[in-house]
Amino acid sequence: MSDIVVSARGVHKSYGSNHVLQGLDCDVGRGITGLLGSNGAGKSTFMGLVLGLRPRQGGTLKVLGVDPDQSGPELRARLGYAPEHHDLPGDVQAADLVRHIAQLHGLPRRAATERASDALWQVGLGEERFRPIGTMSTGQRQRVKMAQALAHDPDLLLLDEPTDGLDPVQRDDMLALIRRVGREFGIDILLSSHLLEEVERVCDSVVILANGVVGHSGPLHQGDSAASGIKVELDSDPRALVAALVAHGATAATDGHILTVTGHDALPDLVRDLVADLGLGLRRLEPRRTTLEDVFIEASQ
Amino acid sequence: MTEARIHDRGYLAYDGPRHGPGRAMVVLGCHTAQRVLGLKRSNWQKVMPAITLLISFVPAIVFIGLAALLPDSSDLDLGEPTEYYGLIVWMVFLFTSFVTPEAICTDRRSGLLGLYLASPLDRDAYLAAKFAAIVVVLGIMTIGPTLLVLIAFTLEGSGPDGAIDWLVEFGRVLASGLAMAAFWGALSLAVSSLTTRRALASVAIFVSLLVSAAVGDGLAQVAEAGDSFGLLNMIALPLEAVYRIYGESNENGPPIAEVGTLPILSTLIGLIAVFLWFARWRYQRIEVNG
Repeated sequence: MSDIVVSARGVHKSYGSNHVLQGLDCDVGRGITGLLGSNGAGKSTFMGLVLGLRPRQGGTLKVLGVDPDQSGPELRARLGYAPEHHDLPGDVQAADLVRHIAQLHGLPRRAATERASDALWQVGLGEERFRPIGTMSTGQRQRVKMAQALAHDPDLLLLDEPTDGLDPVQRDDMLALIRRVGREFGIDILLSSHLLEEVERVCDSVVILANGVVGHSGPLHQGDSAASGIKVELDSDPRALVAALVAHGATAATDGHILTVTGHDALPDLVRDLVADLGLGLRRLEPRRTTLEDVFIEASQ
Repeated sequence: MTEARIHDRGYLAYDGPRHGPGRAMVVLGCHTAQRVLGLKRSNWQKVMPAITLLISFVPAIVFIGLAALLPDSSDLDLGEPTEYYGLIVWMVFLFTSFVTPEAICTDRRSGLLGLYLASPLDRDAYLAAKFAAIVVVLGIMTIGPTLLVLIAFTLEGSGPDGAIDWLVEFGRVLASGLAMAAFWGALSLAVSSLTTRRALASVAIFVSLLVSAAVGDGLAQVAEAGDSFGLLNMIALPLEAVYRIYGESNENGPPIAEVGTLPILSTLIGLIAVFLWFARWRYQRIEVNG
């Protein structure tokens, strides 16, 4: 399988005069990818295009190597989808629903029955599988949605706000399950969310949508290295240090006694030596971490 | 010896056979038919389909019983086959109004439509499967009893004479039942596509059928233009089409009985097409989560 599971180039989608996606370009690689964006950024619209539920108005889109507009049914047989809403038919047993959806994705009845049972065990609903969905909690329904998306062994799993409506404990459990599906089961996941923290916890890479385009995309922890700079906290006026750093080709931004230093290959050594030479008191010296929040704010602007 | 059990097999990839979208339509159709009939649902949901189905078979069972019990059944006058449809048309009417909206309303209300359209089914395939399921379930009422009577009378020796006559009669039973089932199934699909609420769809179908009968017959009797207005009567139209399939007309029936066979069959087929087109048009515009 290719390393790119979703490839979008110049994708446009409008609803009347509302231009939701305006030339979206991104590549979604293997592993767990977070699709981030504020409400109304176009996440669900993009999911709909990936599933082939809606035709796009421009650009090219390849999902698992095929165009959803051209080969929708064949593509959807290889996709698993857990929608955002919590509504599921209340009078249907969880096992029946999961089996039914697996059959729709092409599995013969006996295989669908076995895999529905297995999928419900995997998501932690083994003992509850014969309960009507209407009697289940929100957390359990989210797990039923995950099970029905998994049962037919998809190549790509699309999860739309999978922790929506869950309490903190249920959310932790769901994130652990998503991580397990992505890492242990080896299924690629595109996870739509507006919660930075949960994307940061489970995803390998991120695509941030803002104003109908991709504001940022790439591996999630790329910015953790020293290449993104260091933070230095002094116990006195940092202006002398700033001047010395600039003289050595580095860049320094100050916030009181705290400096954010970038732009040099050996920053920690350089700062240590300059602080010693200048006789300054050093309180803290640590790698500057570019948080997802930093990236998100920058992308949104 | 202790018994060893594997409690967690872990996640297993599936590399067995997979069916295509055609099979998905069959799966959806069977599932829909089950739900409409109330199977695997609460007892309350089984009441209406069970009663209407049972009542529609009662005349057939009585006919067969009389034919079997009476010593000389060949002298028994059980009326024309077309009269049977007159007996069950009100049961079909109730079934269409109060049972068939389950086929599509609940999918939209429960969010299941989004899951269906995220499967290999597209909107047209989804609607085709739903329509087929409704027609099959209605067909149990519109074909089942008359077919049962035909088979029973044939076995008893009082059926049509010869293979050709039997096949003609069999063809009429199938065509009549399908015409009624397709007409009311398409109407149900069109009206149900307007709302997610099953009860609302039921009332809308019930009222639209009654109003069409009142308006059609009323205009036919009042207006100078005459009996053609009877074509608006959506209860009488499929019933009259059945009479024409048997080469008869409903002598004591509503004004539509005076209209020619071609307008009746054309109107029936045209309305089925319009209802199906309308349901498709609605579903092309419905936004689903995704």
